[in-house]
Amino acid sequence: IELKFHYTVHTSLDVVEEKVSAVGKVIVDQRELYLGLLYPTEDYKVYGYVTNSKVKFVIVVDSSNTSLRDNEIRSMFRKLHNSFTDVMCNPFYNPGDPIQSKVFDSMVSSMMVQTC
Amino acid sequence: MSVPDYMQCAEDHQTVLVVVQPVGMVPEDHFFRIYKRIISVNQVSIRDSQRLLYIRYRHHYPPENNDWGDFQTHRKVVGLIAVTTCSSAKEWPQTFDRFHGQREVFGATLYDSRLLVFGLQGEIAEQSRTDVAFYPSFDRCEDVEKRVEDFVESIFIVLESKRLDRATDKSGDKIPLLCVPFEKKDFVGLDTDSRHYKKRCQGRMRKHVGDLCLQAGMLQDALVHYHMAVELLRSVNDFLWLGAALEGLCSASVIYHYPGGTAGKSSGRKPSISQAADAGKRHRPGAQEVLIDPGALTTNGISADTSSEIGRTKNCLSPEDIIEKYKEAISYYGKYKNAGVIELEACVKAVRVLAIQKRAMEASEFLQNAVYINLGQLSEEEKIQRYSILSELYELIGFHRKSAFFKRVAAMQCVAPTISEPGWRACYKLLLETLPGYSLSLDPKDFCKGTHRGWAAVQMRLLHELVYASRRMGNPGLSVRHLSFLLQTMLDFLSDQEKKEVTQSLENYTSKCPGGMEIITLPDGLKLPPVPFTKLPIVKSVKLLNLPVSLRPHKVKGLLGQNVTTKSPFIYSPIIMHSRGEERCKKIDFQWVQGDVCEVQLMVYNPMPFELRVENMGLLTSGVEFESLPAALSLPAESGLYPVTLVGVPRTAGSITVNGYHTSVFGVTSDCLLDNLPGLKTSGCAVEVVPALPRLQLSTSLPRSAHSLMPPSGEELSNSVSVQLFNGETQQLFITLENIGTELLETLEVTYKMVNTKEKIFGEFLSWDLQGPLSQLPLKPSQTVTIAVDIRVKLDFSGQENLLQDLNDDGISITGLPISSPLRQVLKPRAENKPISAEANKTEYNHIKTLEAILHFKYSGGLGQMQGYYRELLLGVHVDVEPSVFFTRVSALPATSTRQCHLLLDVFNSTEHELTVSARNNQDVVLHASECQRMAIQVDKLDVDSLPEPDEETLRFASPRQLEEERQQVQGYQVNSKLGITWSIISFHLQNRTSVSFFVTL
Repeated sequence: IELKFHYTVHTSLDVVEEKVSAVGKVIVDQRELYLGLLYPTEDYKVYGYVTNSKVKFVIVVDSSNTSLRDNEIRSMFRKLHNSFTDVMCNPFYNPGDPIQSKVFDSMVSSMMVQTC
Repeated sequence: MSVPDYMQCAEDHQTVLVVVQPVGMVPEDHFFRIYKRIISVNQVSIRDSQRLLYIRYRHHYPPENNDWGDFQTHRKVVGLIAVTTCSSAKEWPQTFDRFHGQREVFGATLYDSRLLVFGLQGEIAEQSRTDVAFYPSFDRCEDVEKRVEDFVESIFIVLESKRLDRATDKSGDKIPLLCVPFEKKDFVGLDTDSRHYKKRCQGRMRKHVGDLCLQAGMLQDALVHYHMAVELLRSVNDFLWLGAALEGLCSASVIYHYPGGTAGKSSGRKPSISQAADAGKRHRPGAQEVLIDPGALTTNGISADTSSEIGRTKNCLSPEDIIEKYKEAISYYGKYKNAGVIELEACVKAVRVLAIQKRAMEASEFLQNAVYINLGQLSEEEKIQRYSILSELYELIGFHRKSAFFKRVAAMQCVAPTISEPGWRACYKLLLETLPGYSLSLDPKDFCKGTHRGWAAVQMRLLHELVYASRRMGNPGLSVRHLSFLLQTMLDFLSDQEKKEVTQSLENYTSKCPGGMEIITLPDGLKLPPVPFTKLPIVKSVKLLNLPVSLRPHKVKGLLGQNVTTKSPFIYSPIIMHSRGEERCKKIDFQWVQGDVCEVQLMVYNPMPFELRVENMGLLTSGVEFESLPAALSLPAESGLYPVTLVGVPRTAGSITVNGYHTSVFGVTSDCLLDNLPGLKTSGCAVEVVPALPRLQLSTSLPRSAHSLMPPSGEELSNSVSVQLFNGETQQLFITLENIGTELLETLEVTYKMVNTKEKIFGEFLSWDLQGPLSQLPLKPSQTVTIAVDIRVKLDFSGQENLLQDLNDDGISITGLPISSPLRQVLKPRAENKPISAEANKTEYNHIKTLEAILHFKYSGGLGQMQGYYRELLLGVHVDVEPSVFFTRVSALPATSTRQCHLLLDVFNSTEHELTVSARNNQDVVLHASECQRMAIQVDKLDVDSLPEPDEETLRFASPRQLEEERQQVQGYQVNSKLGITWSIISFHLQNRTSVSFFVTL
C-alpha cells in the first residue's frame, strides 16, 4: 500500500511541474503556493503545494472524504509549511536529511487524526 | 468494434483506408518489402483538381471495424491491394480465386482492388489488366509505386462520385438511415415517416458527406457539412452521431490549424506543397477546390464568396473550441457503452492535439478519462498495448513520471500471473524504458555526485523488478549488474533488513555468475556500464605511505643540481610558479623504490549492518608496472573508520599514480577510481619510483636497546643498542650488515653523530675500521659484512664537587673544570660548612651519565646508485656510563731524578666491585668497593711548552677560547700517554670482560 502512495505522489509531481511552469510564466514573484487538486484517482485526491523555494508538499486524501474542502486543504498546507519552516530553521538540521523533528511529526500526525 | 487503434490522430479522418494483404503463400519478408514500398505512397496529388488524397495503409484490419465505416468513413476499407506469388500459369486461376475471396471479406465497402502477382511469367502475364499487375520477381517490380498511384486515383474517382452523389441528394428524397452495427436492431419498427426520423437521417447523411468531403480533400466543404450535421443531430438528440459530427468538425479544424500533423514523427506526412509558397494565405487543398469548383458549395446554401479567408475561419473552430468540441463529443460517446472504442480513440486524438497546443493539464484530463473507459474484456496483449500507448501519450505531454508509471504497469501486465507464457523479455524491455521517467539511469556515475535524484522508494522498487525480470529472462549477469546498481546507488535508502536481503540475493546470483567490470550490452544496443562498489566499503581517505626510514632513498647532494628548478631566473622569488604549485599538490615529496613493497593506507568504513568481507582488495595504478598484492579484509558491522593498508611492488622506475583500488565484495569485483569517490580526502596520489636499491639488514652483537633514542631531525632509527659501561671502559660492538635485497651493495659509508652532547667527551666515542668490510664490496644479495665498532667512554665525572669534597679529608680538592694541567694544581679550601647528609651523598654517588650517538650507514648500489640515490641505516647507540675511579687528590713530589717526579694520586673506587688500578711501571693497586687509596707513580717531567702548537690555519679561524681548550686537550693526551693508568674490575675480568684504558684529565 505504501508503495502505491509512493507511485501516486511521484506521478503527481508531473502535474506539479506543469502547474509551476505554467504559473511561472505569468507572475514570478507573488504566486499562489497552493496548487489545488493535482488529480483525482479512483480512491484518492491528490493536492499539491509548492513553496517559493520549490519545496513540494503533497497531501493525499481519501476520495470519499467530502468534509475536506479546498479551504481546509489550503490551511493544512499552510500549517505544514510553517512547521516545515521551523524544521529548516533548526541549525542542527542538514537540508536533505530525513526530518526527525518530534514537533513536526506530532503536527503531521495531529493533522492526520483530525481529518480521519 | 472492439479493437481500438491507439495510433489514430485527427488527420486520419481525411485519409482513405487501404488494406494490403498477402494472398496465398507469400514470404513475410518479401511481403513487408512490398508493403513498405506501397505505404510510401501515402499522399497522392490528383490530376486536374490539385487536391491531395491521403491514404492510410493497414496490413491487418478486423472486418468488424469495417462495419463502422458508415459512422466514420475513414474506418471504411475502400481499397484492397493483395500481394501474391504465382509460379506457373496452372496456379493462376486458383490464385485469382483466392483474391476474390479476400475481396469478399471487405466486399461491400471496397471501391476498388488490385492484385500484385509476383513470379508469374508467360502468356497470362502478358495480358494487361487494370486490376492485376504482374511482376517477374520481388526484386523486379519497379513500377509498384506507379501502380499504387493509379490505384489511388481510381479510388478517388469513386470517392468523388460518391461524394457528389450524396451531396446532391435532396432532402426530398428518401434518405437511407446510416447506422452503426449495434444500433441496427434499435430501429426496427420505427416510424420512418416521422419528421424526427427524417431529420435524423438527414443529419447522419450530412455528417457522412462531411466525412467524404474531408477524405476527398475538400476541407472547407467538410466543415460546412459538419456544422450542418451538428445542428440537425442536436435537434433530434442523436448523441452518438452528434459526437461523430463534432469530432469530424474537430478533425477538420485540426487539419486546418496544424498542417504539420498531430501524430508526431510517426506519421511521415509531407507538408502540403502549396503551404511553404504561401504561408500567409494558408492554401489548403480544400480551399483550392472551393475556388475551382464553386458549384460544389451551392448545395450548402453558402455562396461562393464565403470561400474567402473570413468564411473559412468562421467555419473552422478555434484551437480552444476544438478542445471544447472534443470534450462534448467524448461526453456523447460516453453515453454509449458500445462506442467505447470510438470514445477512447477520440480521447487519444484530442490528447495529441493538446500536446501540439502544449496544454498538458487539459491533455492529462483527457487521458485520465481515457484510463477509465471500459472496453469490456480485453486480452492481455490489448491491455499491454493500451498501457503502453497511455504511457506514450503522457510522455508526449511531458508527464514523464506518469508515462513511466503506465509503462511499468504495461511491463507488469506482460508477466501477469494470468498469462500462461510470461513475456519476461518484453517486461524487461518495457521496464528499461521507464527508467528516465524515474530519473534513473543505469550509470552509477550519475549518482555519485550531489544529492540523490528522484524518488528513491519508487526507484528501488523498479530496480528490484529489473533484477527479477532479468533473472527470469535467464540472464543472471544482468541481475547481478542491476542488483549491484541497486546496492550501490540506493544504499542510503535501504533499511538494515533490506540491505541484508539484497546482499543475500546478490551473493546467490554471483555464485552462479560473478559480477565484473565489463560493460553489458543489451540486444537492443543499450549499454549497462559497470557498477563499482565504491560504498562497500566507503573509502574516506587515501594516503600513500613513505617507505620505512631505513628503506627510504636519499638523493646524493652533489647531484641535487638537476633538481633545482630552472624555471625562474631568480635564485629566490616570493612568487611561486603556478605550475609548480600544482605539481606539488599532486606529487608527494617522497619516493618509492623499485622492487620494494610500498604501502597505501585507506581509511575505510563499512556502512552495512553486518560484517563485510572484502576480498582481493588491491591497488589500481598507472604509470609504472606495479605488482599489486591484494589483501582480504573483514570489516565489522557499521565500523568506524578502519585503516587498511594495501601493498604492492613497483616493478619499474618512473612516476606512478594510484588511480583507485579494486575489490571483490559479494562476488562482484569492482574497480573503484578515486576520481569518482565523493568526499574523499587524499594527499596526492602520484609518487616517484626510483630505481632499485640494495637493502641491508643490520644486526649487532649487543642486545637491543630498551631506550628509544629520539633522533634530532625526525628521523627514525632502524635499530638501537644499549650498553652499560664504566667510565673509561672500551667495548667492541660488532655490526653485521646483510644484503637482503636483490641488488649488489656497492658503496658503504659510515659516520656517527652524537646526540645530547652536554657531556664533555674525550677522545672518539665510536671508532671503527672500514678497510676490511669495504674490501668485501660489492656485496652480493644475502651476503653479510661485519664491522667492528669500538665504543669508548671517557667522561669527566669530576664535576660532582659534592662528592669529591666529602671524600677529600685533606681539604684539597681537584676539580677538573676547567681542565687544568697537572702541574698547575688548584688548591681550594675545603668547604667545611656544607652540611650534606649521607643519603644525599649516596644518590649523588650513583650518578650515571648517558651517551647517545647515532651511527649512519649510507649505502647504495645497483641502478639506484647510478641515479644518485642511496639509503641510510641508522643505529642508535645508547651507553650508560657509570663512574669508575676518581682521583680525589693529586700532588707531586720531586723524585730522586730531577727529570722525574712522583705523582701521588688518591684513587677512589666508586664502583661496587673490587678493582685494580695500574700505571705504567708500577704495581697494581687493589681497591675494594668505595675504597680510597693513595698511589704513587714515578713519571718524567713534562714540559708544557714543548707541546706542538696548532698550525696557522686553525689559529686563524679558532677563537682564543677554542684554542685554549684545544691546547689543554692536547696536553691531557700527553699526560695520559705518559702515565698510562689503567684499571680493571677483577670480577669482570673473570667474566672475560676486559675494561681498560683509563684517562686522566687533571
